[in-house]
Amino acid sequence: MSILKNLGAGTRNGLVPMLSKEMRSRTRGWRSPVLLTVYLGLMSGGTVAFLWLNLDKNNYIYPNVGLSFYGILIFGLVLLLSFIAPAVAAGAISGERERRTYDLLLVTRASLTGIVLGKWLASVAYLLFLVLAALPVMAVVFLFGGIPPADMFMGVLVCMLTGLGYGALGLCLSAVIKRSQAATIVSLVLVFLLIFGTLVVAGITAGGSNYAEPQYSGEPNFELPGIPWYVFMSPLSALADAMPGAGDISPGRGIPLISSVMNELMQQFQPRLMREYAMKMGYSYSSAYPVSAAGGEKNKPKGLAAWPYWARFALNQVILTLLSLVIAIAAITPRKPWHAWRARRRTAGARAGGS
Amino acid sequence: MIITRGLIKKYGRVMALQGLDLEVPEGSVYGFIGQNGAGKTTTLRILAGLLIPEEGRAEVAGRDVLRDPRGIREVVGYMPDFFGVYDDLRVGEYLLFYAAAYGIRGEVARKLRDDLLELVELGHKRDAFVDTLSRGMQQRLCLARSLIHDPQVLLLDEPASGLDPLARVEMREILRELCRMGKTIIISSHILSELADLCTHVGMIREGRLLRQGPLSDMLAGDRVRKFILRCNGPVEAAVAIIEGWPGAGILSKAVNQVEFRLSGDPGDIAALLREIVGSEAQVVHFAQTEQSLEDTFIQLAREVNGA
Repeated sequence: MSILKNLGAGTRNGLVPMLSKEMRSRTRGWRSPVLLTVYLGLMSGGTVAFLWLNLDKNNYIYPNVGLSFYGILIFGLVLLLSFIAPAVAAGAISGERERRTYDLLLVTRASLTGIVLGKWLASVAYLLFLVLAALPVMAVVFLFGGIPPADMFMGVLVCMLTGLGYGALGLCLSAVIKRSQAATIVSLVLVFLLIFGTLVVAGITAGGSNYAEPQYSGEPNFELPGIPWYVFMSPLSALADAMPGAGDISPGRGIPLISSVMNELMQQFQPRLMREYAMKMGYSYSSAYPVSAAGGEKNKPKGLAAWPYWARFALNQVILTLLSLVIAIAAITPRKPWHAWRARRRTAGARAGGS
Repeated sequence: MIITRGLIKKYGRVMALQGLDLEVPEGSVYGFIGQNGAGKTTTLRILAGLLIPEEGRAEVAGRDVLRDPRGIREVVGYMPDFFGVYDDLRVGEYLLFYAAAYGIRGEVARKLRDDLLELVELGHKRDAFVDTLSRGMQQRLCLARSLIHDPQVLLLDEPASGLDPLARVEMREILRELCRMGKTIIISSHILSELADLCTHVGMIREGRLLRQGPLSDMLAGDRVRKFILRCNGPVEAAVAIIEGWPGAGILSKAVNQVEFRLSGDPGDIAALLREIVGSEAQVVHFAQTEQSLEDTFIQLAREVNGA
């Protein structure tokens, strides 16, 4: 009981002061307003450019302009957050080392878990602040209509999940690499690979696997092949669920690139014969959601394959977050437990030898 | 209050500590003396719970550094040799941040902040940003930080390094005040003259081994080797020749009409040497024993170790 109490107190002693200090620091100085200005400038600039290109032509508004606008906006927001999150977190722990404040923290009653959680939550809070700051820009979508609030909520959720996971990744690299600049560069490269590299690798793999496309034998006893799990490390895959009409043949329509990339991937991974059969059986081939239970229960996607894209992305982000935080805590532990154990054993051995 | 037995610490192939045995009595101000790289910082980091030795035992206020790291944090206040500050925090916020990290919050923390700022004479800087403070002020702020949880033991690693003379005097006065408050303090330094004014006990370390430790008075008075100065009305060459040939004597420094030397032996040996010099061509006008400093003792011990 006292161990749990100590653990809780240590975590609180790390989390509360660290969170409040980080949030105070982030709102002071010139960096924060400059970053916010650039961020909102990009969002607003994009919005103005889009409206100028789409509305000023013949004073005619296309019916799907709201959808296209929302797609571009959410795509831009996710990309921005994907790169801001690790960049913000990558200096969190290495900065303590570089500033030489690291030892001063370690000798306090704050636990390492509390310190890491405080740092991570501070960067997450900052990202939430950025998402909230962008809401007025997103509200322009409602001028045109066509986007249900649930889909917009899903878009914001994907943004936040992106921030949580990639922020934790940046924090982890900050603890492991020890230098802010190197940690920032590595985290940005990794995030780039996670966003785009996963899709490219999946596309290449699928291209290769087409040669071994199984032939339809006439019996409906095949398993629907799934999209590889690593595709859902990319927030772009989850964005397909953040758009209206995700259940039809074109997931993520309205979002630049996503629609074509996801469709291409699914066509590659789910060969034509299978797709046709699946359509007959009442499945939407473009989505993991079964749209009808009619025909062949055993052909329904099972397990993770039955999860919607955003849920699979959320699962990956939660795993990435937990793994990153655990590695970060392990990396900043100055006294590895096995070192203390080894020292005690050696000392006991030396004493026994001496007596 | 602090005991270490057979501490061994390696960094790769370099042995930082080679079986260090320390004993620091309760309420003492213990000067930890050694050259750069002697193992002072490593020892203090082990006592603060930041490093684990390869072998050996260390206890601070009855708590084992290997078995009870949490307990060590309760009783130890640590001030590293190089430290940073959060430059975007104000002085008062800086102390409140560390108070919260020690689990002290609310009115108690605010009262503690004000008291500590008064103690280190930074009360008037409470709302200033930390990065606007001078180096000496930042050192004092860091000292206040290390006192925030009222530790029994203070580990100060080179607390006066980089300070101007006035700031050093201020730091010394604060340390005296802490000593009066009953804290046990270990101060590591290689500026020995500073420690002599402040310490009650001294330990000398070299290449990870303790050369000698004990009360300061014993360290200075207990030496068999004494230092003398001799001035002549004219060249001192004749006197120098006699000293150089005298058993147990050695020249420390030499000028045109003055020579400083050390001599081991009893008063009879000193009288015999003086008689020999006066009987020579040297026209002696001044002969006196100079005060043995901590520095002399350390150099002498280091020479003995080298000789051995």
